[in-house]
Amino acid sequence: MRKIGVVLLAALAVAVALLASGCGADRAGQSAAKAAAQGCPARALAGWQRLANRIHAPVYCPAWMPDPFDGVIGGRWNTIDSVSPDRSYLIGFIWLEAGSGELHVNLRGYPGRTRIPTCTDVNTVNGVTRRTKIACFSDPTGHRRVAGIDATVYTANQDADRWHVLYAWRRGGSLYTLSQHVAVPLTYRKVVANLNRMLRSLVLVRPSS
Amino acid sequence: MRITRRRLLAGAAAGAVGAGAGIYELVDRLASSPERTVVSRRLREQHLLEGVETITAEGVEVLVPPLHHRVVTARVRRGTDLRAAQAELERRLAGLDRRFEPTPAGLGVTVAWGLPYFRRLVPGRARTHLPVDLRATRERNRPVGALLDAVRFPSDPRDTILEDNDLAVLLRSDEAEHVDEGAKAIFDGFDALEQTSVRRGFVGGGFSGRQGLPKQMAVAAGVAGAELIPDGAQLFLGFTSTQRAAMGQGRIANLETLGYVRDPHGYFRGGTTMHLSHVHEDLEAWYLNFDFAQRVSTAFRPDLEDVRPNAQTVRQSPRDVSSERKVERGYHRFGAIGHSAAIQTSSRLRQRHVGPDGTVYEAGTAIPLRADFNTLDNPFAWSSQPQRDGMSRNPAAGIHFLVFNPTSDDFHRNRLAMDGVLPDGTKLRFPPGSRGQGFNSVLKTTHRQNFIVPPREHRSFPLAEL
Repeated sequence: MRKIGVVLLAALAVAVALLASGCGADRAGQSAAKAAAQGCPARALAGWQRLANRIHAPVYCPAWMPDPFDGVIGGRWNTIDSVSPDRSYLIGFIWLEAGSGELHVNLRGYPGRTRIPTCTDVNTVNGVTRRTKIACFSDPTGHRRVAGIDATVYTANQDADRWHVLYAWRRGGSLYTLSQHVAVPLTYRKVVANLNRMLRSLVLVRPSS
Repeated sequence: MRITRRRLLAGAAAGAVGAGAGIYELVDRLASSPERTVVSRRLREQHLLEGVETITAEGVEVLVPPLHHRVVTARVRRGTDLRAAQAELERRLAGLDRRFEPTPAGLGVTVAWGLPYFRRLVPGRARTHLPVDLRATRERNRPVGALLDAVRFPSDPRDTILEDNDLAVLLRSDEAEHVDEGAKAIFDGFDALEQTSVRRGFVGGGFSGRQGLPKQMAVAAGVAGAELIPDGAQLFLGFTSTQRAAMGQGRIANLETLGYVRDPHGYFRGGTTMHLSHVHEDLEAWYLNFDFAQRVSTAFRPDLEDVRPNAQTVRQSPRDVSSERKVERGYHRFGAIGHSAAIQTSSRLRQRHVGPDGTVYEAGTAIPLRADFNTLDNPFAWSSQPQRDGMSRNPAAGIHFLVFNPTSDDFHRNRLAMDGVLPDGTKLRFPPGSRGQGFNSVLKTTHRQNFIVPPREHRSFPLAEL
């Protein structure tokens, strides 16, 4: 029953994506949508389901991620797996190779709240440390509308999303984000392409218990 | 016609004569020349460009500089007959004067000379004729020339190249062909001058709501972070740089105007000094690491409030000018100094001044006259020493920073203030690359040199005739 729910949601997401993107959808978009249609990859589903169950709220499983990521929580590339007492989560995937570069993708969720969270900017100068409260995601520069998601694009972000381009959207009274680090070997343009493709591939996984 | 990245790069690989033309051809396709006032008189000052239009952007008066800029640096060939070369260069420059009016619609030509020229070719006459910086001499208790060797500043990388060119020629126009013709008229077939570098670039804001040149050019060249530049920005870093109140007006940057200089024989009266540097700008670091409010704090001052979201032109009038005490307070409160606020401690007049020609300059008036321009050169469009200069064929966002100050020391004071070394001796310490130190964390200076700009009548091989 749980699996059927996921598949139905994914199929609905694909339908909306196709409608939204129209005839001009690129190959990558179709491929991401196809991935979403197939649902959260079998290897990854268990981890995302466990997360949804743990926080008692839906989470988004990426059916497509840039190579070599596989979206498996607890897998080789999943280096951040964090759930806070307020049930907000941060799942991060990092590939790092000296001399070649870095790939870093974060997925976040803030169940039961839609406000942009507040971060602390720490600045130490001449031995004096100053802490300033600032928005964790700022400089909105547009929207990406796909698969029923209306994501705002933020380009200046903090903490684990510093130097990332971040997409944030609201669903069912919760805030979700998807971000990727702009770092060699990627450019801003390539990161945006990756984020668009990941966004199209997202599959909602609801808590089963 | 679409300009492809391949075509841009092919142009960038061209030699000295057509250096980098491929990239910069795009300027004319993306921007149209504004209407300019017709001016035919020629000022004694080579560095002043007439007919520069003023517009109002976001309620602030802004100067509209020429679209196309080029600097050609050169050395004087060994064994050159200086008197003959002087006559020949003047003949060529006079020819350009006859062909083009001295405005952005025509062609602005500024010939500046470096200390290597004076030391190597006219050392005796230079000792007796080069102006002396009275203010710096008084403070340091030893003679200090108005023209100094360039230095590395605290925030400069250790490998910043301090150049040794004999001369630099600045060409400015709304018309690319005028700049081309000017460069050819001066250098083609002139054996006395060996070109050492060609630097090209552009300035152009989309003030009427259109996309500005910096973004269009950077996106076309595939520069990292180009898409993050605000649409209407005048420069890559997103803020308008040429607001009238922040630019030296009239003859204020002349050697003689503010009384900083003793010009022993009056030979350089009507002249100025020029600093030329190339600075790489890390657009991704600027736009991804600093949100808008942080960019405002960094570019202007940390306690600046009431700036409209996404504003590009932020008023910097005399009443907005900062002081050492304000900058120091900001440092202690925020751990940061704003770029403009720090520089204003040395770049604005402390008190009202009446120039030798009777012009009144009110307190708070800006002294430096900037002529900087954005570039995709990496670091130059062409170099005679590509390895030393670190030449790359990949376009990169940067600025050819070019400014006229009454003395080299005056520029050095401004630049030190940018690093937190204030005119009263206060040193506001920052770790290297600190975000608190204004723009410095996203800038990397590759080259520097100081020059003197003689008045028009002595622009060609100065002192050679004596």
